[in-house]
Amino acid sequence: MLSKDQIIQKLMEMLGQEQINTNPDDLYDASADRYKKYAKARKVLDVPTPVAIVYPKSAEEVSELLKFCNENLINVIPRGGKTATEGGLENWKDLTIVIDALYMDKILKIDPYNSQATVQAGVALQDLEDELRKIGYTTGHSPQSKPVAKYGGLLATRSIGQFSTLYGGIEDMVVGLECVFPDGHISRIKNVSRRAGGPDIRHIAIGNEGTLCYITEVTIKIFKFYPENNKFYGYLINDVETGIKVLREVMVNGFRPSVARTYSEEDAAQHFYHFHDNKCVLLFMAEGPKGIVEATGKAIEEATEKFKDGIIKQVDSQLISDWFDNLNWSQQDIDDEYEGMIENDAHAGYTTEISADWETIPKIYNNVIERVRNEFPRAHELTMLGGHSSHSYLNGTNMYFVYNYEINCAPEDELLIYHHPIQKIIVEETLRMGGSMCHHHGIGKYRNEWAEQEHGSAFYMLEKLKESFDPKGIMNYGTIFPQKEAIQKYIYRG
Amino acid sequence: MKKSMIYLDKENNKNSIDLLEVIRQIYGEEGSETYGVAINHQCLEAIGYVDNLIQITDDKIFDKDGMVITDILEELQQKYNFDCILIPATNFGRMLAPRLAMRLHVGLVADVTAIHLKDELLEMVRPAFSGKIMAGIVKQGKGPTMMSVRENVFSYDPILPKETQKITYVPKHLRKSQLKLIDKREKVQSYDIRDSEVLISGGGGTIKNFEKLEALASQLNGQVSASRKIIDKGIATRSIQVGQSGRTVNPKLYIALGINGAIQHVEGLKNVEHIISVNTNKNAPICSLSDLVVEGDAFEFIDKLLAKIKNNDFRR
Amino acid sequence: MKILCMVKIVPDVDKFKYDFDTNTVVRENVRMILNPDDASSVGVALKIKHLYPGTTVEVVSMAPESVRPLIYDLVRVGVDRVNLITDKLFSGSDSYATSKVLAKYVQTLSYDIILTGTHAIDGDTSHVPAQLGELLDMSQMSNVIHIDEELLDTTKAVFTVDFDSEVATYEMQLPGILSLRKESGYKLPYIKYEDMNKDVTDSIHVITNNDLGFEPFEIGLKGSKTKVNKTFVKEYEKRDKVVVTNDDQGINTVYAFLQEKGFI
Repeated sequence: MLSKDQIIQKLMEMLGQEQINTNPDDLYDASADRYKKYAKARKVLDVPTPVAIVYPKSAEEVSELLKFCNENLINVIPRGGKTATEGGLENWKDLTIVIDALYMDKILKIDPYNSQATVQAGVALQDLEDELRKIGYTTGHSPQSKPVAKYGGLLATRSIGQFSTLYGGIEDMVVGLECVFPDGHISRIKNVSRRAGGPDIRHIAIGNEGTLCYITEVTIKIFKFYPENNKFYGYLINDVETGIKVLREVMVNGFRPSVARTYSEEDAAQHFYHFHDNKCVLLFMAEGPKGIVEATGKAIEEATEKFKDGIIKQVDSQLISDWFDNLNWSQQDIDDEYEGMIENDAHAGYTTEISADWETIPKIYNNVIERVRNEFPRAHELTMLGGHSSHSYLNGTNMYFVYNYEINCAPEDELLIYHHPIQKIIVEETLRMGGSMCHHHGIGKYRNEWAEQEHGSAFYMLEKLKESFDPKGIMNYGTIFPQKEAIQKYIYRG
Repeated sequence: MKKSMIYLDKENNKNSIDLLEVIRQIYGEEGSETYGVAINHQCLEAIGYVDNLIQITDDKIFDKDGMVITDILEELQQKYNFDCILIPATNFGRMLAPRLAMRLHVGLVADVTAIHLKDELLEMVRPAFSGKIMAGIVKQGKGPTMMSVRENVFSYDPILPKETQKITYVPKHLRKSQLKLIDKREKVQSYDIRDSEVLISGGGGTIKNFEKLEALASQLNGQVSASRKIIDKGIATRSIQVGQSGRTVNPKLYIALGINGAIQHVEGLKNVEHIISVNTNKNAPICSLSDLVVEGDAFEFIDKLLAKIKNNDFRR
Repeated sequence: MKILCMVKIVPDVDKFKYDFDTNTVVRENVRMILNPDDASSVGVALKIKHLYPGTTVEVVSMAPESVRPLIYDLVRVGVDRVNLITDKLFSGSDSYATSKVLAKYVQTLSYDIILTGTHAIDGDTSHVPAQLGELLDMSQMSNVIHIDEELLDTTKAVFTVDFDSEVATYEMQLPGILSLRKESGYKLPYIKYEDMNKDVTDSIHVITNNDLGFEPFEIGLKGSKTKVNKTFVKEYEKRDKVVVTNDDQGINTVYAFLQEKGFI
């Protein structure tokens, strides 16, 4: 086993000086992601810091780095925009290097005729989006982290955006990609419109959360953009069930609004306090060519008419449009929350997001709210508990639970006392009713104690992939594949 | 004739004298002979207001020691047998009154803000539960009625000036104080927005000329605060950021200029009494929380309001 | 050094909600908490204990049995013993009767200094600390915002008081009573995760009227020198939003509002 100094020595032989970062503040920052945000702000993290952060400039350099780590049993954490929320970037090993895609930030090709764009993994989604808008196109991908997130991570986590109901998730947008494996092998999956050449191997990379390979390049589909046709609809409704029914009606009738959401009262208060009157909110956005938008709008109106018993009133579309313009995070939002956590015993809350079919989602929602209010020992300290559905499909939807609370404990105890018990109830109810505990944030480290339950007998397939591609287990130790001792140490603290 | 005593607080002469209004409400215009007690000060302001002014002056009396003053007041009670004893509810008064009440074995109602008299039943009204509920308290048992009374609530306007008799009293027994004053200093003015009663707050709509807010703040005796957008631009520091990740404030007046009202911002305004928002969009979320909404440009508003205030000041 | 802290368990008044429709304050389902000023007194006591090993901190509280969970938590953060004075006969006591009960018990204890809060968020009379001082024949000071830990010993305490418009530093000969404000910034430490379910029943000492021997007429409602005759709620007006523009009429409306509310 190499020592930390020896590792740094070797890295300096492989890379230029500007590609290696051993600054203590940056390393501290790199040891955890937005999951342990509060403990990080208060400087009481209990996890080891990585040895170095490195910034390769090409797939070949990534290959050299992975080979080196593989030979020397060094843990690797692949990193892009740093927006991970489930511990995917958290470090659980003393000998770790973080491989950051910072310098692989070129947009390689924009090809509107073939509706494709090719970027390196370190390209920020917002940067590509800005370029596409200049030619009247869009990525169609708009997670709340858009201004900050980068393509490598967006793929590795099977991310999804606010307009997914129309454009799909990242998996629907990827054409081809390039990735590097622990043994140094570089795989390039070419760009074709479709093929049946054996199983779809893109899906080994998409969603791997850095446990199997390092993504270096991506080609995605691009879409014509029609902002001038956008139509907004907003309603105050009686309850979440009504909202789900209307969403389903629109979907199964064959329409694809770009945004289709329903919010519970407390979650709605975060965004719509100025008009929601303590009720649940239902909202839609229709986007695309004029005829499609009109037809979609009509379908929405008919759906709300069908369930009008549950609908209290329609709200001014301008309010929905205004809200939409202010939705995304920026780096400043993240920085501001960080500063706030240093000064105050509070943060901006947590989320656990799940998916299930139409029938099951309202049941899960109600069970969770009831269980949390009755079973969670600190329920009286909750300042917010609710959820919203924001990604709909023909056969179901997601539920994004949100919660925040007064923090009346030491910072290092916060997750165990507040977040974890709530998350546990949500995951238990979801798995019990046959839903998925991880709609789009990934398993990370903090849901992997349930990873086997999530996949059941199919977990075998994931395990075999791990055995084949990362036999030495150097890729992002602790993510997806549960490590009992580490879970005991870093989640349950002894 | 009933006898009432008012403890005249050295630092609060006028407030103490105003307590005569309480006595008038209880006993009527001529129902009580009033005594003012001044320890270590002359309290000449009381002349013409109280029937009797008892002055006690002695270097050896440490007038901030509740035990020492209680002894003196007990002696006076033994001599004059007051029916009613009123003490202004200053910080010292609130320590003195309970001690004296216990010494005299009587009940005490603290921080009285109103008197209700019905069929000879005297009910003393005071705030409870941090001011959320008002309680009407009655006395049980024998002995003088004792109250500590909140300042600036009662106001006394005499109909005719009284012929005040000055009495010099020498305490029979002065105990040695357990307390010693080491030093004392004026409170430094706080520039923490959390302490301010009036806040003039700027958001994204004031980026162009944020400094203008200071003029309005000075005019209204308030301080300038800001929403995150201003801090993000580097125009001001986090110490004046209002919101969930900044500071929670509780001024009586919050003027929100060009602030949209994201939930993170308004979370910091939960305890504000009055909100005025000035915004080019009258449907900006923060307007739903406001008493008064001015639809327009923030800077134009500041100019016009300042002009109006100056104009009215001039005419006065 | 032996420190005695007097604490009161009160409803969490901040969580009272005003019901505009019935003009009442809803007090149901509001949790009981340790009075914030009293929490500061225990906080500074524990801080002193931490600085001077060998210091003991004991808490005394007159309360119903239902406060046990809160009492346990005090032991879990470092209080050596909690003396819970509880008896149905004490219920209904005003501050006069309460002070007599507390004083009778405290007289049986040995201690160097007594720390209390200045005011309680429910009753807010601030009577008990001063009356305790009177019954125990010792000095008492309210609004303490700082205690000088270095100069503190069993004979004297040096501390700072927030006295209306000025701030003063005093020295008090001990034994004596210092009453803290939560603005002092002294806080109770958080219970460590591993201590949260620690069994601390051995550190709770219960005292009833059998131990204190009061006659019924001396305590409870009968022993009180004041009685609450009625309670009522201040009227609050619901905000009716008024919208104006930057024209003369609008500015006049704003000016009138500011004048009416006393800001000009």
